[in-house]
Amino acid sequence: MSTDTNADAREQLIELAAEFYDQFEEGDVPQMTLPTRTKSNIEYDEDENVWVYGDRQSTRSAKSVRGARKLLKAIYTIDFLAEQLDEDRSSTLRELYYLSESWETDEAQFNNQDESNQLIEDLEIVSEVKREDFHMRPEESGAKVMGPLLLREQTNRGDRDIHCQKDVGQGGYQIPNNPDTIEFLDNDAEFVLCVETGGMRDRLVENGFDDEYNALVVHLGGQPARATRRLIKRLHDELDLPVTVFTDGDPWSYRIFGSVSYGSIKSAHLSEYLATPEAQFIGIQPEDIVEYDLPTDPLADSDINALESELEDPRFQTDYWEEQIELQLDIGKKAEQQALASRGLDFVTETYLPERLSEMGVL
Amino acid sequence: MTSFQSTLGEESEIAEELAESQRQISIAEFFEKNKHMLGFDSGARGLVTAVKEAVDNALDAAEEAGVLPDIYVEIEEVGDYYKLVVEDNGPGITKEQLPKVFGKLLYGSRFHAREQSRGQQGIGISAAVLYSQLTSGKPAKITSRTQGSSEAEYFELIIDTDNNEPEISVEETTSWDRPHGTRIEMEMEGNMRARQQLHDYIKHTAVVNPHARLELREPKEHFKFERATDRLPDETEEIRPHPHGVELGTVLKMLEATNSHSVSGFLQEEFTRVGSKTSDSVIDNFRDRHFGREMAWEPPRDGADIAAAVSDATANKGADATDAFAEEIAEALTDHDRVAYHQIVETVSDAAEAVGDGFGVTFGSTVQENAVEAAWDAVLGVSDEADEDVPDGRRRADLYGLVDEATSTRKDDATVESLASRIANRFRNDEDDRDRLTHDELAEYVDWAAERTAEREDASIGDTARENVVEAVWSVMERVPDEVPKVSDLADNRDASSELLDAMRATDIMAPPTNCLAPITDELVEAGLKKEFDADFYAAATRDAEVTGGDPFIVEAGIAYGGELPTDGKAQVMRFANRVPLVYQRGACATTDVVKDIGWRNYNLDQPGGSGIPNGPVVIMVHIASTNVPFTSESKDAVANIPEIEDEIELAIREAARDLKSFLKKRRSMEKRRKKQDVLTNILPEMAEKVSDVTGNEQPDISDAMARIMNNVRVGRDLKENGDGQKVSVTVENHSNASESLEVTDIVTAEPTGLSDGATAVEMDGEWFVKWSVDVGSGDDATLTYETDTDASFDLDVDGVETEKLTVNNEH
Repeated sequence: MSTDTNADAREQLIELAAEFYDQFEEGDVPQMTLPTRTKSNIEYDEDENVWVYGDRQSTRSAKSVRGARKLLKAIYTIDFLAEQLDEDRSSTLRELYYLSESWETDEAQFNNQDESNQLIEDLEIVSEVKREDFHMRPEESGAKVMGPLLLREQTNRGDRDIHCQKDVGQGGYQIPNNPDTIEFLDNDAEFVLCVETGGMRDRLVENGFDDEYNALVVHLGGQPARATRRLIKRLHDELDLPVTVFTDGDPWSYRIFGSVSYGSIKSAHLSEYLATPEAQFIGIQPEDIVEYDLPTDPLADSDINALESELEDPRFQTDYWEEQIELQLDIGKKAEQQALASRGLDFVTETYLPERLSEMGVL
Repeated sequence: MTSFQSTLGEESEIAEELAESQRQISIAEFFEKNKHMLGFDSGARGLVTAVKEAVDNALDAAEEAGVLPDIYVEIEEVGDYYKLVVEDNGPGITKEQLPKVFGKLLYGSRFHAREQSRGQQGIGISAAVLYSQLTSGKPAKITSRTQGSSEAEYFELIIDTDNNEPEISVEETTSWDRPHGTRIEMEMEGNMRARQQLHDYIKHTAVVNPHARLELREPKEHFKFERATDRLPDETEEIRPHPHGVELGTVLKMLEATNSHSVSGFLQEEFTRVGSKTSDSVIDNFRDRHFGREMAWEPPRDGADIAAAVSDATANKGADATDAFAEEIAEALTDHDRVAYHQIVETVSDAAEAVGDGFGVTFGSTVQENAVEAAWDAVLGVSDEADEDVPDGRRRADLYGLVDEATSTRKDDATVESLASRIANRFRNDEDDRDRLTHDELAEYVDWAAERTAEREDASIGDTARENVVEAVWSVMERVPDEVPKVSDLADNRDASSELLDAMRATDIMAPPTNCLAPITDELVEAGLKKEFDADFYAAATRDAEVTGGDPFIVEAGIAYGGELPTDGKAQVMRFANRVPLVYQRGACATTDVVKDIGWRNYNLDQPGGSGIPNGPVVIMVHIASTNVPFTSESKDAVANIPEIEDEIELAIREAARDLKSFLKKRRSMEKRRKKQDVLTNILPEMAEKVSDVTGNEQPDISDAMARIMNNVRVGRDLKENGDGQKVSVTVENHSNASESLEVTDIVTAEPTGLSDGATAVEMDGEWFVKWSVDVGSGDDATLTYETDTDASFDLDVDGVETEKLTVNNEH
């Protein structure tokens, strides 16, 4: 990693601190302005085809005790990050949370990790420096890739060339925290297939789906980590591969697709960098539940609420999604990916996916 | 056991035997057996009650003499007993009165007085003497010195309980260092288990008597309560009783004692708010009750029958004179719409005089009586010659009209007819030929008639209909002119006196005057609270006088909050009646009930469940001043639940509590502000420090930002070298939402010159006080400038803004 980016990131952080300093000196109340990070303040960026934050701003101001505490934590975090960059080291979000315990003032300590995670995101937004460039990484690194792709990864121990089928075990290639350290060398892939659950990924790998269809199977593992989303984006942009997403058939899974495709509300400031607007949803669609007569669970109240809130989510306001969500509300049922096994273990690889993929024009 | 056989024959002997053991018991003897009624039920309580009685007496005595009370109470353990000494600086008691005051129950000057005073019955102190002699067997030792006498009187006495008289064992003169006053020493059984109540009593007495100095020395502790004011309570004027506030026994006693002969004189002399007009109204009402009214009947429209009847009844007066006499009477009577018996008597006597004068004849009393009877019968239509079939005569028709009008149209004619007929019948058969009835008798007629009619004719006549009939008839009946009995006749006529009392109560009479009351006043209630409770907030309210049962009363309330008052547990409720603390029977008192019923949450106090005594550092005091405080018992521990008094207690408390509410609201917001400031004064400097760390700059000055955050008023000083001296600028920045008026004082150790902005400088002991008054609008600032020596030092002091809202930057 270049010291240039380090110095750059550090510069940005110190600029932030200097702003606080000036505010004090002017006799102004120190404050930090951020875009409001709620679903009501995201809008579609027509140029980039992603959802980004709108114009509404929130102010963290020292005028209230809460705001003052936040700003104090921010300056402590800035101090810590600046030092970390100086020493070219990195730490995890969780480590930051625990580290705050060692800060000399109790007021600066984080109450929980959500708070410290959020603060890092705040700093990303105001400094316009990505978390990865602060050398902050999540606890769990990105998920795994399996498929016909040869790449080169810069590691602490030097560059490694890895083929994501031949050089890896059954588990696949582990995506590093900062996928920008990867260089794509060669591939035979036809498309990217993102899979929500580990069980389904294993089924596809066991059935040799990646080999048969030249698919890059990317395991999302629930809400995909940034690194995963970044890699998907790069696979699409740099290798020009179509991206498909295969999840459970419930509102929570639609959000997983949403964050791959449209970007998440929390990181809408990074949508351009993380989101793959061209990603396509395979299923399970509510339509499939009916068509394939899948075993289902009834929708819980929280599912219904989630579906209804998705209907109001600007990211889901397309004809396709409105139709699917309303259908699901209508039938009152949801189904897991594994429910396809009710038609036999090979049904998913031999029938469902080929059918859906050709329908979508990927195959 | 004796057998019935032997006793049955000797009944008279038994009765005699019993009679022998029956005798009158003295009041003293009665209370000896019923100590609890006076608050001497236990040793602990007895001691407190004795102190209370003696102190109440002492305060009353001093105040009456116009002396600021100075009272000393001492309790000392003496072997198995406690010795109680109470000394006052009152006027002293004369040698003649002294034994009776202390040695005779129910001897007192106040029982009959309508005036606010602590004691009322003349029981208290002598009951204490009685209690001491009963428990210790020792006499009470009393010293008293009246103003101007060279020596004090000293008595040792006990109460002879058989005949409620003092029994003096020692009587001598002695010397005493007080110029005037009274000292009583009693030994009694007791214990100090009620120490808390004793302290409460003395402390509470001090609160409501801010003009008194009190001292208590008991075996363990010693307290002094100094005066908060030199103002004696306003002197009260004794008022006569109010006609609505007396009972029959009192009326009888007053009738016995009065110098008036006539009832009118008695009413005007002995009662308050009774003048001649009111007295006339009372007497009219009394006449109605005592004599009843006479039924007035419609006379026949044609006077011929009356004239004929009178003429027939008059003999030997010559035809012309007789005719003239009869004509005159007939004419006068037919002029009336209705005629009562006494009006006929009057008319006949007038005619006798007029016609007699004209014709030179005398119509004597027999002639007049005959004429009256004849005219009356003619009016009633019941003369002997009249038709025997209608013995009721004209009465029935007359009553039919009244009844018909008074009852609803749904009553059928036959029912009205029967009812009227039966009432007429009762009139006819009454022994009193004058048709004279009291209201009660009339009601009985109507009831009887209605019952009969219901029984025989199967018609229902309800209570309302009956009442309407009674009122219709009563309203046409005439008040009689009879002379009301003299006072001397009433005094031993219980029934007539009761009728008089009824008449008094039925008459509208103005409320009694209130100069008989001496409220503490809200100002002194507050002063009293301030004196005894170290709190942050005090409020008090005094209500206007109100009346219940003829006794005027005033309620006052005070509230103290915060400070050193205990924060855990319930509020302390202090109850007072006529400046006397009530320490027992809290739960039975109207005051406590009212306090519990108030929703204290509305006043920002904690009240679990929304009712009951509130929690927190609160003292609530209520004082009821009245000429007659209605206690629940003789021991005077609790005020009875009289609705008028409860209403006033509530209003007084609410009035005081309103101020508490705004205080607590402000205090809460100030507390929040203080908390915020506390946190921020912690956070912001750390933030500033870190910011300077990260940026590598010097620590920024955060005071302006701080003042802005807190919406504070910031006062800061800035110094600038200016030739030999320095220029000083004191700047006020108002970051608050309202304009502020400040009083800024900068204390400078060298002479300031060139003061700007109307500021002044005053020198004191080598220091100059630069005073500057300034108004600064919200968001504005103002600057004071002056010059002084470079080596001067400064000290800034700001008034007019709450400390929570003020940031003073005193650096140079």
